[in-house]
Amino acid sequence: MSAAPTATSGDGPVPPPRTSVPAADSPTVDGTAAGAGGEVAWPAAVPVAEPAEPVVAEVEPGRVRWDPAERRARASQSFWTAVVGVPAIFSVLRLGVEAGGELQTTLLLVANVGPVNLLAGFLTTAARLLSTGLVAVFALGAVLAVSADRLPPGTRRRPLFARWADITPAWVVLASFLLALITWPLLYLPLLLPAFVAAFQLRPARLHERVVPRLLLIGALLAGYGWLMLPTMRDAMRQGDEWLVLALIVVPPLLALFIAGPLPGLVIRPLASVTEVAVLATLIWAAVPVITTPVLPLTVTTVGPESGPTEDVRGHVVTTDDVNMVILQERGGVRYVPVDLVRAQVLCPSEEELPRHQLRIHDFHVEDSLLEGMGRRVRPVHRIDAACRTPA
Amino acid sequence: MNPGSSQSRLRSVASTLAVALTLVLAAAAGCDSRQEPALSSVQEKMRETHIYGQSKLRIGVATNEPLMGELRNGQHVGFDVEIARYIAASLGYEGEQRLEFVSVATEDRIPSLQGGTVDLVVSSFSMTEDRKQLVSFAGPYFVTTQEVMVPVRLKDKIRTIEDLRDPAYKVCTSGGSTTEAELEKHQVKTFVVKNVGDCVDGIRKGRYDAVSSDESILAGFLASFPKEFEIVDMPFGTSELLGIGVPIGDPALRDLVAFFLQKSYVQGRDGDASPWQTAYNRTLGPWLKAEKRQPQPLEVPKLVDFDDKAPAK
Repeated sequence: MSAAPTATSGDGPVPPPRTSVPAADSPTVDGTAAGAGGEVAWPAAVPVAEPAEPVVAEVEPGRVRWDPAERRARASQSFWTAVVGVPAIFSVLRLGVEAGGELQTTLLLVANVGPVNLLAGFLTTAARLLSTGLVAVFALGAVLAVSADRLPPGTRRRPLFARWADITPAWVVLASFLLALITWPLLYLPLLLPAFVAAFQLRPARLHERVVPRLLLIGALLAGYGWLMLPTMRDAMRQGDEWLVLALIVVPPLLALFIAGPLPGLVIRPLASVTEVAVLATLIWAAVPVITTPVLPLTVTTVGPESGPTEDVRGHVVTTDDVNMVILQERGGVRYVPVDLVRAQVLCPSEEELPRHQLRIHDFHVEDSLLEGMGRRVRPVHRIDAACRTPA
Repeated sequence: MNPGSSQSRLRSVASTLAVALTLVLAAAAGCDSRQEPALSSVQEKMRETHIYGQSKLRIGVATNEPLMGELRNGQHVGFDVEIARYIAASLGYEGEQRLEFVSVATEDRIPSLQGGTVDLVVSSFSMTEDRKQLVSFAGPYFVTTQEVMVPVRLKDKIRTIEDLRDPAYKVCTSGGSTTEAELEKHQVKTFVVKNVGDCVDGIRKGRYDAVSSDESILAGFLASFPKEFEIVDMPFGTSELLGIGVPIGDPALRDLVAFFLQKSYVQGRDGDASPWQTAYNRTLGPWLKAEKRQPQPLEVPKLVDFDDKAPAK
């Protein structure tokens, strides 16, 4: 088992190792012309991309196939394109869905919802999805990258996620994990543990070079985790049907001990293909709720003359001017309500926010993220207004 | 095959398993996050009730029981009325426009629920097994005892149940009440009138000598005429559990009312100002001899509500 198959397969489709600026006619791994963008002048603020495993790269020159400058340029270009483009496209899609598919209503929303509001609204709802995607890619990528030497001879190229993990600077990986830490529901946070260990290749051997102190350290870490989670696990057992919750709390820290790899050569190719498809499918599947989450807050507006019958209008306030309040009704359609007919207005929660589990981790609800949980500590009392109970 | 390679093979198998299990767990977590809550929510229960979509909620209350349910200057006031307002507001009916109080006499409480003229009855309604055949109850929201109130001139003469049996004293009570049945059990001959207020009027005019009813109701009349009456503590031995009457055909509404009573109970238990405590302090509190707390409601369903994630402390 060595790096020989990859390094010596120069006669195959894998291009020979390059150390300097490549010739313009030599194709890169993904078939694009090499050398483009290699001369870009970098602003001081743009971080320098480091290969994820510089040591390995030195030992096995066969793995370095791109000029570092070119690699940096490409990575940075696609990174900023994604950062700007994806939220913009998603936000516009959301407006269309929010408007109920009506062109005129979409135009009304476009005219009244500012780009900054739109982007901020998008980020609050999509941060969870975004961090999930990134964490999955980086964790899988790192495990596949460290196993890539075991690929069977004649394999065309390294798995996609492994290449992505290689070109991503460590601070981006760390930032995605931090984003996940504060936006994921507490219940799913234990899964972040094996993912983190995998992404940064933290083998138990890194804790201590000798076996006994290493085992003691692992034991202490697990005991601390157990102390944190024990009351919740007891509650979950008492409730009887919360097996998934129990598994989600107990299993991930144990998996973290073994997950760092490397994987056997036979598994790498199928795992890479399956996970690529799975991550893509998950992102699409999880993107649907993000697109359909409302852009504007849900309110109930009580409308009626000074002394007379009133009516509750349930919907999202688009804008208010001197004459009218424009409400996009929950059941569709836009209402222009004269401002002097508005008697009262309350903010309402939506039914998607109802919790599925009745469990807490030290008084933090398991379905709250750390951010939400801290927010609830700042404003602990949340009274649902009577008007929110009435039918739409 | 040396030991090092077998160890490395073992490690790579463990890694494979760990990666696979993590992916499976992540997939399970993803599916779980898209599932509906297992428990039904308050909103779902609301849709099952007969009041869903109704523009007004009609609640039957007493209008002649001071401190409990009284009509004063055209305004309904009293402990029962405040509890009724809290329940109505929790159900989404807040303000005079959406809430209608219907005056219901003691004996009409069951027929008005059966006949659909009111949606709820909050009127010193004792939860008894017999009544549970005809209407549903949510509660109790108050535990009281049966007492006797006598005019000051008789306070030294009527002290025991034995004294009540004396044919010289005319004991009055309201028809269709638990008191009537209880007195009958003790072989006390009673004069039955429509409301407790009629008994009090009768005593003041000299027609009767004593009135028996729930302590909470009598405390109300004592508050109205503090110089004329006195409550005599008698060992009737039964406690009256006051509940909110709900039509028997609407279990969802009963569950919701019980759920909201429980919400108030939990608030009070944790030492916060609960709606119940506020209502009690504003009405009955100063007039009862012993301090009371909200009793724990019975048969409260587990429901999911929007504020479930709020910190418990």
